[in-house]
Amino acid sequence: MSDINPCMKHQVVRKAVREFAEAEIGPIAHDVDRDARFPWEVVEKMRPLNFFGLQTPKEYGGADLDTISYAIVIEEISRISAAVGLCLTVHNSVGIYPIVRFGTREQKQRFLPGLASGERIGGFCLTEANAGSDAGGVETHAIKDGDSYILNGTKIFVSNGGVCTTPLIFATVNPIDVRKGFSVFIVEKETPGFSVGEIEDLCGMRANPVSSLFFEDCRVPAVNLLGRPGEGLKIGLNALDTGRLGIAAQALGIAQAAFETSVKFARERHQFGQPIAANQTIQNYLADMATEIAAARLLLYRGCALKDEGKPFSAEAAMAKLYCSGLAMRVCTTAVQIHGGYGYSKEYDVERYFRDAKVTEIYEGTSEIQRMVIARSVLSAPA
Amino acid sequence: MELVVCIKQVPMVSELPWDPATGTLKRELAEGMMNPACRHALEAALQLKARQGGRITAVTMGPPMAEEVLRQALALGADEGLLLSDPAMAGADTFITSRILAKAVKQCRPDFDLILCGCYTSDSETAQVGPQLAEELDLPSAAFVEEIDMKKNRLIVSRFSDGFIETLEMKLPGLVTVSTQCYTPRYFSLAGIEAAFPDGAPIRTVRAGDLGLDPESIGVHASPTRILKVYAAGADKENIVLRGAPKQIVDHLLNRFGDRIGGAMGKDIKKNRN
Amino acid sequence: MNRKNEIWVFGDYRNYFQNRVTLQLIGRAVELAKEIKATVCAVVMGHDLDEWIGEYMAHGARRVYVVEDPSLKEYDAETYAHLTARLAAAHSPEILLVGATSFGREFAPRVAKRLNTGLTADCVGLAINSDGLLVQTAPSFGGNLLADIVTPQQRPQMATVRPGIFKEIPHNYEAKGEVIRIPLPKDIPARRIRLIKSVRQTQKPQKIEDAAIVICSGRGIGTQKKFNSLYELAELTDAEVGATRPLVYAGWADHEDLVGQAGKNIRPKILFSFGVSGAIQHTAAISGAEFIIAVNKNPQAPMMKMADVAICADAGQVCAALIRELKKRIR
Repeated sequence: MSDINPCMKHQVVRKAVREFAEAEIGPIAHDVDRDARFPWEVVEKMRPLNFFGLQTPKEYGGADLDTISYAIVIEEISRISAAVGLCLTVHNSVGIYPIVRFGTREQKQRFLPGLASGERIGGFCLTEANAGSDAGGVETHAIKDGDSYILNGTKIFVSNGGVCTTPLIFATVNPIDVRKGFSVFIVEKETPGFSVGEIEDLCGMRANPVSSLFFEDCRVPAVNLLGRPGEGLKIGLNALDTGRLGIAAQALGIAQAAFETSVKFARERHQFGQPIAANQTIQNYLADMATEIAAARLLLYRGCALKDEGKPFSAEAAMAKLYCSGLAMRVCTTAVQIHGGYGYSKEYDVERYFRDAKVTEIYEGTSEIQRMVIARSVLSAPA
Repeated sequence: MELVVCIKQVPMVSELPWDPATGTLKRELAEGMMNPACRHALEAALQLKARQGGRITAVTMGPPMAEEVLRQALALGADEGLLLSDPAMAGADTFITSRILAKAVKQCRPDFDLILCGCYTSDSETAQVGPQLAEELDLPSAAFVEEIDMKKNRLIVSRFSDGFIETLEMKLPGLVTVSTQCYTPRYFSLAGIEAAFPDGAPIRTVRAGDLGLDPESIGVHASPTRILKVYAAGADKENIVLRGAPKQIVDHLLNRFGDRIGGAMGKDIKKNRN
Repeated sequence: MNRKNEIWVFGDYRNYFQNRVTLQLIGRAVELAKEIKATVCAVVMGHDLDEWIGEYMAHGARRVYVVEDPSLKEYDAETYAHLTARLAAAHSPEILLVGATSFGREFAPRVAKRLNTGLTADCVGLAINSDGLLVQTAPSFGGNLLADIVTPQQRPQMATVRPGIFKEIPHNYEAKGEVIRIPLPKDIPARRIRLIKSVRQTQKPQKIEDAAIVICSGRGIGTQKKFNSLYELAELTDAEVGATRPLVYAGWADHEDLVGQAGKNIRPKILFSFGVSGAIQHTAAISGAEFIIAVNKNPQAPMMKMADVAICADAGQVCAALIRELKKRIR
């Protein structure tokens, strides 16, 4: 009885996060999307509960959760507000994880406590005007100058852009051979030359301040270089593997929310003298949604379990991300359809889910890139 | 201080999974949760421990799955859990439940200073287990308390009671039941949950035999009460449904129930002649 | 055993002017007594009790057991339970009813435990069945479910009963009865709880908990403007306005006005419910409402199912129409 029971633990995590999300984020989720406002008051409440140090080791003030628990946290927060879920997954996975994995002891001691407590917010800046899926196009460069690097360049579509204070910046230290010099820097917002562009006016995830970041002769201490010069691609791909589990969890949370609201609506909405749930077409929609969500969850947890076991999980993370994001789009499209005219109205949450879902097929690697990753893994397997 | 908090796992229901066809509650469809008032009691204990120091033992009686509320209690800051679980205990009413709890506390925490219970459960709502446990253990008790503090070696409690605000002083050991009006429970921290699931978790499972309890004395048959039937409230209501234009609806409502509404207001509402 | 076939009602007089549950229980006991040919008795303890003895007799008690002593002046659940259990053991009543006041709900479980008998909490119904047993109807799950419970073997059959459920019998100060005074036993245990301070709660003229008419609103009301129009309706009907959790969160209503778990419990004669779906956290708090008029666009909402009158329409429009009509009709 008293031995460890991981299922019960995951159940407890889910209930705990659901309780918090429904009570503290639920009442404002609709409004912060409408007003494109980042809910600092929620961040304030999440800080002492370890939401900003989900998998950070305990010695740095984190909760040191297993990866399935991590996915459950992101799913449950995203079930209520995908934009807040985005803040957390970016911060915890691609923002913090590379420091935990590749940072020196000094870097960990310097940066992790602030990040894990949520006092500092992380970010991950790879995408540029001419780079995204192809990291080779990165133009931001960092030129060594004594004990520092001088950063110049512009990052776009940065999730958490408007609020991140300790983001990771991808830049090349070798403008001649971008790939060879591709590197990662931990850059603090207070550094002179660091500035934030306007918040993007996006289709979904509107409560997350996605923006550009500008670096103009931004002098970063050389000790802020994460890993060695030229290790940028390795670190980036590693970060994205874990980040994809987070985005998959986020997409799953959106799908779950759209599914639940559809079930409720189908029971309550009456047409031709009966609830629309009595129609077989609606029943089939709901049955397919439920089945696919259950399958997606298992696929995601498999990727998480592999990561915790220390096994390769790139392909599984890509599969989870590809499947969960596609699922989110399908479920939300059907959910809007079930809601009819109401589903097209901003008064109903399902309209927000629909807008939020789309980007999960785009960021942290488009579905096309995920297929590429998966195909590579499939084709490189021993015959 | 040696604190004991009694916790019940109750079904988490926002709308009851009630089957009107069979007249039964589909309990198995509902997830379990920590009874809200018990969580207030745990919060009171946590705050008392923060001031006084000591140890909190969370006790629950229920099926094996009730271990979950003990894990939750550990996650919130309790130090140990005691799971009273035995098929022989199933179906116990408050009379029997308090007997089992008393036995367990006597055996496992004989040196306790204070027992805290929620003032009532959200499922059966009897509010009886606390006072009956006090009776079993021959303890002073105060029910529905809103504030707890220590002054020297006495417990000072305050509560609203039948139109009075009372401040009481209690000798310890004693028992309180905590109201849901104060001690708003804290949220779970994720580090707390992580810490509540270690390999050698401080949760002990206790069976009827371990407590020297004869199954005959604790089962559903030992309860002095019998439930004849359970049914949905309001089944006897007429549930008149009105539809149409607002003006028509209101006319109909006031013509038919104007006397009743006016009666409650202490005014007269005219009937429409048309 | 010398069974005298008595129904006992515990005399809970502390908050008499706000809460006449003892008289209500005597009233119900008189009806139950006819069916089992029992005598209705009151049991009262404390100090300076003549006023209450007279009241209980005037409202239907034919026998009053009295334990009077200055040391009993302050209510104490443990001491009163000790005395009541001793009396009951000596006189073997069939039934013992206690008002479900704060005190009653702490006191009665202790008495039941001492007498080794069953107790049903916060009953909303009492009846005698064909076996002559007291059928005690108790709510559970926030009043959504009712359970009929009996105590087949043990005596007395005990219940705490919710105030306001039964009607008291109009007083008759000519009524005669027997007063049995019992001296305070010498071996009564010392009190382990000391009352330091007791202050009467100052009450606002009308609180939502005591209001005869309550207007409750949920998210379905739609807009804050429509919500605010409920206050006009409240003024017309002398009602108090309450709100569900989402409206309190939205800042339309104060936390003071929250009707539900972690908020207020209400038991009005009339409850107008506008745009409330009926989550259990809310329905639990309104289970004491006598007559519910619910307005909601969705006929399937749980609130509509538990209403006496379910109006399937827009909450704001019905509110406006109600205001217009009442202005014309109230005399």
